[in-house]
Amino acid sequence: MTSLALSGGTRKSRFWPRVRIAAGLLACVIFLFPVFWMVLSSFKAQRDIFTVPPTLFFTPTLQHYFEYMQRADISRRMINTIIVAAGSGIISIVAGGMAGYALARIRLRGAGTIGVLILLSRGVPPIALAVPMFLVARSLGVTDQHITLILAYCTFLIPYVMWLMRGFFLALPKELEESAMIDGCSRMGAFFKIIVPISMPGILSTLIFSMILAWEELLFALVLTNRYASTIPVAIAGIAGDTVNGANWGALTAVGTFTVLPVVVFALLVQKWLIQGLADGATKG
Amino acid sequence: MSTVAIRNVHKSYGALPVIHCVSLDISDGEFVALVGPSGCGKSTLLRMIAGLEDITAGDIVIADRVVNDIAPKDRDIAMVFQNYALYPHMNVRQNMGFALRQRKISRDEIDRRVMNAARILGLEQLLDRKPRALSGGQRQRVAMGRAIVRNPNVFLFDEPLSNLDAKLRVQMRSELKELHQRLGVTTVYVTHDQIEAMTLADRVVVMNGGIVEQMGPPLELYDKPMSLFVAAFIGSPPMNFLEGSLNTPNALILDDGTEVALPAPVAGNGRTTIGVRPEHLFLTDAGWPAVVSVIEPTGSETQITARLGDYVIRVLIRGRTDVQPGETIHVSAKPADIHVFDTASGRRRETVTT
Repeated sequence: MTSLALSGGTRKSRFWPRVRIAAGLLACVIFLFPVFWMVLSSFKAQRDIFTVPPTLFFTPTLQHYFEYMQRADISRRMINTIIVAAGSGIISIVAGGMAGYALARIRLRGAGTIGVLILLSRGVPPIALAVPMFLVARSLGVTDQHITLILAYCTFLIPYVMWLMRGFFLALPKELEESAMIDGCSRMGAFFKIIVPISMPGILSTLIFSMILAWEELLFALVLTNRYASTIPVAIAGIAGDTVNGANWGALTAVGTFTVLPVVVFALLVQKWLIQGLADGATKG
Repeated sequence: MSTVAIRNVHKSYGALPVIHCVSLDISDGEFVALVGPSGCGKSTLLRMIAGLEDITAGDIVIADRVVNDIAPKDRDIAMVFQNYALYPHMNVRQNMGFALRQRKISRDEIDRRVMNAARILGLEQLLDRKPRALSGGQRQRVAMGRAIVRNPNVFLFDEPLSNLDAKLRVQMRSELKELHQRLGVTTVYVTHDQIEAMTLADRVVVMNGGIVEQMGPPLELYDKPMSLFVAAFIGSPPMNFLEGSLNTPNALILDDGTEVALPAPVAGNGRTTIGVRPEHLFLTDAGWPAVVSVIEPTGSETQITARLGDYVIRVLIRGRTDVQPGETIHVSAKPADIHVFDTASGRRRETVTT
């Protein structure tokens, strides 16, 4: 009797994890399939892309990639995207990181309200901001400039970074800074000499995360730039929205693959940093 | 090395007062322990000395200088935290030398002082390890080393042994005492463990609800607690208490009618609580009757738990006994060993010596 019940229990405990793993795999397949299809199509000749039924076997070609490098200033747009993503990422990690630290640690009347207000600004739909931003940029004469796009991205990245970093700093024992302050640091000194070094995994993953957000941003880029500072997502939108010649699927999938690649690499890096627990051993063990 | 003076210090968080007017003078080289239950304000007081909390009213004076508005880094103090707060990205050598580097002391001097502290604490082999590669006891030592290298005016300890296991705690306790005797630095030590406070300190300050209940040398607190709180807090196993009314100065009538004859008359009247430490009770032929419930022999001594009226009392006797559970015993105490308190105010009442 007992052994029966036991073996039943064992079978049950093996069954459900398997179902969960299978469900997870299924979800992965569903989410990854479009990406797979995009990468696959980017290596197909134009006629293979539209074969019905779609074929998995074809002669791969790099034609679209070469074509893409020459078309529509793509290489310059790539550089623009890098400048804008890196610039806005770095500015927002510095400003947002310090603001997040202040919100986490400084006992100040109304600090919580200020924090929530800043976060609430994320609730404003970007489309509502895009046009006023364009008007401001135009009257300042800075449309189609890298700095314009960088500052525009900072408006949504800084609140984001601030809240992520705040959570990170709250998890650190406050005795670390107190100890540093007794050892001869000012509050700022304790932040830069102790808190920043041990928060590096969090800071780097947040930086990469915000750079990914800036990398793939379309709306502000579309409104605020036209040629000189325009970014890759704008180019993709242009190719997809070419109503005269019809969408060039070969070019589109090639550009798409090239755009996604750094994001995937970055995302893998974030994962590595997040897993690493550098703060181990700070306090009791 | 220097003195610390706390003068009429108050602390409130908003409208909530947590420390009500505490005054305390600590002389040069003295080891003072602040002890009390959680939330009694002992840690807050220590953090105010360190400069980590603002002072609502009053003055804190370190080395004859009012430090109310002086930043922690300029108070020339060193603090050991309960969770050690070692810098995880620095190895032991860097952790211990950090404060000295902040003070722009020469490399040679830093090396010399770190090596010296490492020798005192037996950390020479661990200097290149990161905190995460150390055991709890080793981390605790590094935290102390960080304080020692500073050669500060005052050492502040905030429950530094609470995170260690019982055996290590006892070992570190005597190391700490030895260290204090060797360095002679003025020390303020916060703990909730009355044994730690008693064994380490020159003077113990018992705090409760933001006030100082009593301060004095450890044995004075033990021998002459001035309030019920101190009597109950200091000593292990804890003091036995019996509450009743004094109809005559010579007998306490418990609520169930049991009459406890007092060996000496007591001043005053009204609701009265008497307290006797377990080791001061002895078995006698004519004393307070109590029914034995548990016998716990430890070899060198025996603890007897018994019921006296509605009260559970503990009796600690040297050696062994053939008393059995269920038996009625008679216990008594010398007049000098009976502490008498006014139940309502909790304050000590003097016994009348005739």
